[in-house]
Amino acid sequence: MSLWHIAWNYLWNRWLTTSLTILSVALAVALITAILTLRDETKARFEEEQNAFDIVVGPGSPLQLTLNAVYYLDRPTGSMAYSDYLKLKAHEDVIHAFPVGLGDTVAGYRIVGTEKEMFEYAWENDVTRELRYPFQLADGKFFDGPMQAVVGYQVAKAIGFKVGDEFESIHGNIDMGELGEFDHSDSLYTVVGVLKASGTSNDRAVFVDLTSIWAGHEMHGEAPEAGAEDERMVSAVLVDLYSAALRFSYMDWVMHEIKLTAAMPINQIMRLYNQILGPAIMIMMAIGYIIVLISALSIMIGLYLSIIQRKRDLAIMRALGASAYEIFGAVMIEAFLVTMMGIAAGVVLGKATAYGLGLYMGSNYGFAINSFSVSDQELGFYAIVAIVGLVAGIIPAWQAYRTDVASDLQAN
Amino acid sequence: MIELKDCRRKLGPGVEFYCKDFHAQPGAQIALWGPSGCGKSTMLNLISGLLTPDEGMVRIDNQEIQDFGDGKMDQFRGQNFGFIFQTFNLLKPFTALQNVMLGMQFSDTRPQKEWKPRSIELLDRVGLSHRIHSKPTTMSVGEQQRVAIARALANKQKIVVADEPTGSLDPKTAASVMDLLLEMCREEAVTMLMVTHDKSIADSLETHFDCSELVQEVSS
Repeated sequence: MSLWHIAWNYLWNRWLTTSLTILSVALAVALITAILTLRDETKARFEEEQNAFDIVVGPGSPLQLTLNAVYYLDRPTGSMAYSDYLKLKAHEDVIHAFPVGLGDTVAGYRIVGTEKEMFEYAWENDVTRELRYPFQLADGKFFDGPMQAVVGYQVAKAIGFKVGDEFESIHGNIDMGELGEFDHSDSLYTVVGVLKASGTSNDRAVFVDLTSIWAGHEMHGEAPEAGAEDERMVSAVLVDLYSAALRFSYMDWVMHEIKLTAAMPINQIMRLYNQILGPAIMIMMAIGYIIVLISALSIMIGLYLSIIQRKRDLAIMRALGASAYEIFGAVMIEAFLVTMMGIAAGVVLGKATAYGLGLYMGSNYGFAINSFSVSDQELGFYAIVAIVGLVAGIIPAWQAYRTDVASDLQAN
Repeated sequence: MIELKDCRRKLGPGVEFYCKDFHAQPGAQIALWGPSGCGKSTMLNLISGLLTPDEGMVRIDNQEIQDFGDGKMDQFRGQNFGFIFQTFNLLKPFTALQNVMLGMQFSDTRPQKEWKPRSIELLDRVGLSHRIHSKPTTMSVGEQQRVAIARALANKQKIVVADEPTGSLDPKTAASVMDLLLEMCREEAVTMLMVTHDKSIADSLETHFDCSELVQEVSS
């Protein structure tokens, strides 16, 4: 029977106290595991997305423009002239520029009017250097004419859309509190394609030809007179430049020449992330570390009380020939086992929580979260918890080490 | 052979233990007899190295142990002494078998493969072959004392020290435990020192050592 076996038996002998201590360690570890996983994964997704488009141009604030035109969140920020889009596209630094017409929805999902060339767009992943194609068909084809729709993976899944289905669009997004002024019941869209899951905002959008948006709005007197092409409007323009180094000069040109807002999506998102999520994550992490300290205290108190209760057992072990070091070691092993079981349970609980939140974020925000990835920081945190647990065991182990064998054997 | 010579140990303000001379031959069965508080347990603790004398000599098997360091003393004690106490002898989280095996584990004098067969054999000899997987809390005090006897002999120790081993037992059980202890010690050729304040129990052993004058008042 090893010291590990002896330590395990003593833990098992007071299973309720042991379980509660393990639970407290597990809760702290789970909280921080979930936070770190979600933080790292969302950050990774944002960083991947930054390569999709260098600049977004349109009216409104940079953040609102980004959320609206890149991530299909928030309300549309207004319109800009189609002629401005053509000027933006004609700039010598631009490889691709795609117009985006927003404002309509179906079952709460954004309808995105654009040009079919956007489906061919691919961007390179900074880390893996692989080309990423955010528009890949699971079924059907891309639209090649008006009133045809290509639906994102999440939309198809949620509404049950399949190729050949028809739907009416609604002006505005009632879910966001926008006024659903009128529907376009006199103009039906036909689903011609369903996209594969991409883990991006495309999963929860419906893509249609920009001309369909204009046609729908013309019927309601929103659009300008027919033939006045220069007055046709779009919500924003997504721009891909030859080099990331050209971003600032291009933005400068847009602001001075086109008189519109130009924003780097990644900057806006990281600013939002740092301003809102950053402090929230800091607070949650601080709570997690406080729980770690409380758990360490509970390990220490639990072991200390246990040592006091079994002074006679320790004295008997010493009388049987156990050295003071072996007694010290057995108690330290108890602290180690409790801590490691707490860490293991916490990792499982934390990853399960991250997985659940990942599913929610995937379906609501088009974010693919790999909840089973383990970062260096997580490993570092587990190491810290293990060390804290062992440090918590030192005082009780020292108490056990100093057992006064003769007097403890006399005490009944 | 056990020998104490001019052993002093301060017990408190103005009180000390003093044993001028004590000898025990190998295989002897000696009762350390005297009233409560007379110093007989202190003497047992000095012999077994649980206490060290302030002055004097304790010699066990031709080795003077009073100057042993803690580690050496722990090892020496595990190899040479078996202990039986009045009560709460066993470690609660462990079965009878594990309690007996623990004695061998800590002393580390026998190969690990012998621990289990030797423990089972001893538990069988004390009549507890049917309780080897029982935990102390499910056993009677008499049964626990039998397990303690098996554990005290598990390592083929040279000396068994028993501190009031029948003090918590009813007369019938006490007699049966006493008989078993003496018989087992004889069979294993072990020296036994038993502390008791009961004259009738002391009389059942072949030799007495009167401890009634071991504790003395001294001027501080």
